[in-house]
Amino acid sequence: LTSVSRVRGAAKKLLVVGAEGPTPGGKMHTRLATFWKVLGVLAFSIAVCLPATNAGAQETVRIGMTSALTGPYNEYGEGARRGIELAIEKWNSNGGINGKKIELAMLLDDQLVPDRAVQNMRRLLDNKELAAIVGPAGTGPALAVIEMAELDGRPYINPIAQTPTITYPSGGKPRVNVFSFGLQNDVEMRMQAQYVVSRGFNKVGLLHESTAAGVSAAQIVAGGLKAQGKPSPVADESYNQKTQDMTAQIARLQRAGADVIIYTGLGADLAVARRTMARLNWLVPLLANNASLSPPYEEGAGDLVVGTLGSMIAAFGKDSLNPVAQEFAGAYKAKHTADRWWGSDPARPQLSMSLTVANAYDAGMVLFEGIRIADATDAKTICTAVEGIKGYQGVNGLYSFSPTKHHGVTEKDLAIFQYVKADGKIKLQIVKD
Amino acid sequence: MEFTLQLVFAGICVGSTYALIAMGMSLTFWTTRTLNFGQGSLLMVGAVAAVGLLAAGMPAAPAIAIAVRLCALLLVAVERIAIGPLLKSGGTMGWVVSTLGFGLFLQGVVAKFFGSQAIVVPSLMFDSLAFVKVFGVQVSAQYLAILALSVTLMVIMEIFLRYSRWGRAVRAVAHDPHVAELAGIPVRRVVVWSFVASGLLAGVAGIMVAQITGTVDPQFGFNLIILGFVAAVVGGMGNIAGALVGGIALGVAEKLAGGFISTAYGDAMAFAILMVVLFVRPEGLFGQREITKV
Repeated sequence: LTSVSRVRGAAKKLLVVGAEGPTPGGKMHTRLATFWKVLGVLAFSIAVCLPATNAGAQETVRIGMTSALTGPYNEYGEGARRGIELAIEKWNSNGGINGKKIELAMLLDDQLVPDRAVQNMRRLLDNKELAAIVGPAGTGPALAVIEMAELDGRPYINPIAQTPTITYPSGGKPRVNVFSFGLQNDVEMRMQAQYVVSRGFNKVGLLHESTAAGVSAAQIVAGGLKAQGKPSPVADESYNQKTQDMTAQIARLQRAGADVIIYTGLGADLAVARRTMARLNWLVPLLANNASLSPPYEEGAGDLVVGTLGSMIAAFGKDSLNPVAQEFAGAYKAKHTADRWWGSDPARPQLSMSLTVANAYDAGMVLFEGIRIADATDAKTICTAVEGIKGYQGVNGLYSFSPTKHHGVTEKDLAIFQYVKADGKIKLQIVKD
Repeated sequence: MEFTLQLVFAGICVGSTYALIAMGMSLTFWTTRTLNFGQGSLLMVGAVAAVGLLAAGMPAAPAIAIAVRLCALLLVAVERIAIGPLLKSGGTMGWVVSTLGFGLFLQGVVAKFFGSQAIVVPSLMFDSLAFVKVFGVQVSAQYLAILALSVTLMVIMEIFLRYSRWGRAVRAVAHDPHVAELAGIPVRRVVVWSFVASGLLAGVAGIMVAQITGTVDPQFGFNLIILGFVAAVVGGMGNIAGALVGGIALGVAEKLAGGFISTAYGDAMAFAILMVVLFVRPEGLFGQREITKV
């Protein structure tokens, strides 16, 4: 600003001198001298300003994100955006990362379509100013972009997608730059297998969507049962997402004599399954995955949800919220009010918020903590710093990472819930912690 | 046996909705020789409009009446904007793109005003727990009501087309619009009314299918339209009895394949049937071979 005023002042002087010059020859000479003075000041100003601009770039930590901001799955994508933004606001209100402000510099919409996610990821990776990338909100698009992101090397945060291969491509060593904050299928399904075994169910029926996530979940449950010396599932049925009717699937499970059904899919499809079970008057226990314990299931199945069991992150189902969860809930409500993501109870967030907003919030918080510890924006240093984080309290749990463990949520952070009806209201409550 | 009957009953009931969709597509195919690829979105609009009006406190009967009329109105607009002008230019397949675009446009509008998430559809006739015993097998009352309504609508449509003056006019236009015009039949009006009827059927079908699923979202209807199209082609394009038999055959085959082979093959079965029927009878089960005199 000082440089600009100096330039303005000199220019004014030039005009004044030009207008009131004492002699014609002297007038020309004075004009030229003033011109050179102004030019000098201008050149100096540019020289001073340029490094200042570059320094400004270094004063901001920029991240990029692709997510399902619109479309039928924006419950997850828009939720992830809100979570990341809340984490950024939290850090920025505390002065940023080592004094540097954080900015969500690129935010792209993929609608959970793998092709669009790939295009978006290309754009994000081409922007070399981004210090880290937040990936898509589902398994399909995440698997479509993960190789590109791994090759690039910058920290990649997987906020939601549940398939373990996103983080552990061959089941063992994690991708160096990928960190997951969703509830991994293997973690959840192993817990579900343990639960049905502990309850004495012997004829487990599997019902899952035909996607990679659904198929891998079914395989993990079967593996979990085998590991505990139990028989294989009596039936393994799949369906395509958004199917209108599941009579064939439910009839096959019924014919196989299943005494419990383990379901993996989305809430709206679970509503179709539950309604079909009611139509066939076949009411065996139904144990659903976390993603299905959501408003689409509750709205689609109505009172039929009562009795449905499900595994879920326990954070918002506990009697009292942990301090980080309390702070997060307060910040969310202040910014967005008690909306669809929050749920119907104005006093506390619904359980599913753990996997729509809180997971992304935790992802952002851990990433920024990693950047703070690294005190650098180069990829390798940040990844090493995140791997060194131990016992970091988030909304959903206590996060610990290592060179061999790149997923945040573990069995300890989960609980089995059941829909119950009390005082005319349907709610989820913990049946096994 | 009970297992088989369960699958067959479910197949018949679900198949009857495919038949209704197929009949709606057939009506406009007769009069314009075009297919409305946006019909699936029209099913969705019918269901969403009915739900919206019910949520606003309107009783079920007027809400359904307004929703299906809205579908009819929209389809007339499609004919005016997306099909009619393209047919005048002759030989163009632009209507494929324009009707598909119309469907996507409707999806966008509904997503904008109602959101992209599934909307709950209240049970209008029976709830999911109501059932009737048929041959010792429990059959959902909701499914039976849908079957009864579909068959009734198709019978009425068949009688109308076969015995009423307007019905004969529709068949005349379907046979040859130029000769029909020479005979004094108001071809233009017949075309418009065929779109009105097709829109009404789409609205009814949308509301009925939404009763099965319990929810509706902007993508609702996109899969159904493929199955409706398969039913129409299998039965014989432009034949009401064919649409009914094609739809029910498709529904039953889908359920039986899912039940006895694998649930992963349900949709694959639909297309396998289509290919076999077209191989054996290219004109469909009830279609008539067209003979062109030269």
